[in-house]
Amino acid sequence: MWKFLRVNMTDLTTKFERVPEKYANMGGRWLTSRIVHDEVPPTCHPLGPNNKVVYASGIVTGTAAPTSGRISIGGKSPLTGTIKETNSGGLAGQKLSRLGIRAIIVEGQPEEKGKYWVLKVNKDGAELLPAAGAWLGKGLHATYPLLFDKFGDKVAVIGIGTAGEKLMANAGICVNDPQNRPSRYAGRGGMGAVMGSKGLKAIVLDDKEGPGVPIADKALFDTGRKKLAEALQTHAVTKPGGGLNTYGTAVLVNVINEAGGFPTRNFRDGRFAGAAKISGETIHEVCQKRGGVGMTGHGCSPGCIIKCSNVYPKADGSELVSVQEYESVWSFGAQCGIDDLDITGELIRLCNDYGLDTIEAGVTIGIAMEAGLASFGDGKRAIELMREIGKGSPLGHILGNGAESTARVFGVVRCPTVKGQAIPAYDPRAIKGIGITYAISTMGADHTSGYTIAPEILGVSGKADQFSVDKADMARNFQYATAFIDASGHCLFIAFAILDIPSGLEGLVEECNGVLGTNWTLDDIGRIGGEIIGIERSFNKAAGFTRAHDRLPEFMKREKLPPHNVVFDVPDETLDKVHAV
Amino acid sequence: MPSEPENPRRCASATIEVHLFGKLRRFTENRESSRESVICVPVEESDTIADIIERIGIPGDEIGSNVFLNGEYSATTRRVTAGDRLGVFPDDMQLLYKWYFPKAR
Repeated sequence: MWKFLRVNMTDLTTKFERVPEKYANMGGRWLTSRIVHDEVPPTCHPLGPNNKVVYASGIVTGTAAPTSGRISIGGKSPLTGTIKETNSGGLAGQKLSRLGIRAIIVEGQPEEKGKYWVLKVNKDGAELLPAAGAWLGKGLHATYPLLFDKFGDKVAVIGIGTAGEKLMANAGICVNDPQNRPSRYAGRGGMGAVMGSKGLKAIVLDDKEGPGVPIADKALFDTGRKKLAEALQTHAVTKPGGGLNTYGTAVLVNVINEAGGFPTRNFRDGRFAGAAKISGETIHEVCQKRGGVGMTGHGCSPGCIIKCSNVYPKADGSELVSVQEYESVWSFGAQCGIDDLDITGELIRLCNDYGLDTIEAGVTIGIAMEAGLASFGDGKRAIELMREIGKGSPLGHILGNGAESTARVFGVVRCPTVKGQAIPAYDPRAIKGIGITYAISTMGADHTSGYTIAPEILGVSGKADQFSVDKADMARNFQYATAFIDASGHCLFIAFAILDIPSGLEGLVEECNGVLGTNWTLDDIGRIGGEIIGIERSFNKAAGFTRAHDRLPEFMKREKLPPHNVVFDVPDETLDKVHAV
Repeated sequence: MPSEPENPRRCASATIEVHLFGKLRRFTENRESSRESVICVPVEESDTIADIIERIGIPGDEIGSNVFLNGEYSATTRRVTAGDRLGVFPDDMQLLYKWYFPKAR
């Protein structure tokens, strides 16, 4: 029987509850967004006592379903002011599920500031322990080993770094990988600051002898997971030895650069002369040449077929960082004019250490460069600026609060954000479809919130057909499919395979039916995804968000992006059409 | 601050500049990932992208959907002219694109 674990940080109590009937069958983003919608006042201060942090793994997480280890973390975002769901790989999702816990809901706030607790959860129950002084105020590369010493090395740790302790709006939430590195992040939207505002340093999950995940129809589940596994093992992008496995997500560096949509030097250019030097191909080559611990094809959670992560070595073969992935090598690379993987690696390592989202941090450093705090391409100065965040200096607090705060403080108009969140590594002037996703996302600029908003919205010829209801339907449906994948607990990258291989998509639905005992069909993907997006939009509306917020930054309508020399010209009416019904 | 030209042209005027990636780099002299792998291919009137790919000697089944003519996501039936830049990725690097872009024909 699934349970909720409710943790009250005001009176420091924990209690297990039966999962209310209305939440039956929900998991991942579906559940976090629904609980946040139902329990968090939309106008509350994100760092005040009325916000909550909800942790939920996906519907099939913790089973043998392939590539399904995601944990969703939700609440009201201090970065955007919207609802937030941010998800991560690592070990936590599977262990939470195997403990029979559908969601952990952390609420309230201790009266005494600056005190921290650790929530320990195992098969016998849950307990809040005062955080030892040695676990606080230092980097996660120092803190995590101390937690494993204390709680054993077979646990999952969901923790915050000093950025979260200091309530910075770019603080992420960290999850350990299979080698217990503090390296996987539910990074976006500042949920680490919300966790910090609750006085919660970490959640430690020990699933030893836990009840495991009940499966209603084992035969159907096995049929489904085998279909999905076969699709993942067949598709050129997701299969072992395929593009993601060989090069990692940074395989996209050369692709997006060739397309002229690779944002360079704070979104001034769509091509970066140094792109090849920070590409997935080069990451692969360096791992092979330097040897040592370097590897591509690293899995971020057990049971993943794709394995797109890597461990990047220093020149002497020792570990620099895990992981150099597309968004991170872009944000600290092209966005800052830096073409050196040893520098991007160090900057990513600092994010992992302080507990920061790499996209937001890199875009912020690019804005600092625009403001004259460093020159574009100056990696040494970029590292110094990042270290200010670690020190918690006044400048560090500004940078740690993200791109929009930094742009405002220094008077930078070219500020690539939507709803306060930094735009990721696809320039929407050259890639209009993703621009629509950024604009209408419930989460602020987020490439993962509608991964597949299709070219069809602009017509095959590229000519905008903005008033076609069919096209708006299609865009919406792709967003819904993404939300469903987030609810299932699968990594979004299964999309590459299941959108090309129909049996893979069937397998996804059959897996869910097998676990839950439901009779969902492919049509239910749209229904459930639509419900999730609807819940999120409803929260945002009550929090004060209108169509005026569903817009890209003004400079993108005005400044032409080389080499195509295009502006973002999708009419506002088209953006409004997507969710008009 | 004006941005400097990112990719100065490096092929003679009667040719097309082809950028190859991943396992297709073997068709160029440079196979180092940290540099660009470029080959200059003579172009004839009414050539299509497919003709150029064939002239280089790349087997058709190694090409994915990520083919870019002057940075535009393109069908291989598209005509090319001297001075163009063609980017060709292998099948294992074909992610994302077909969902984001209208394919120019």
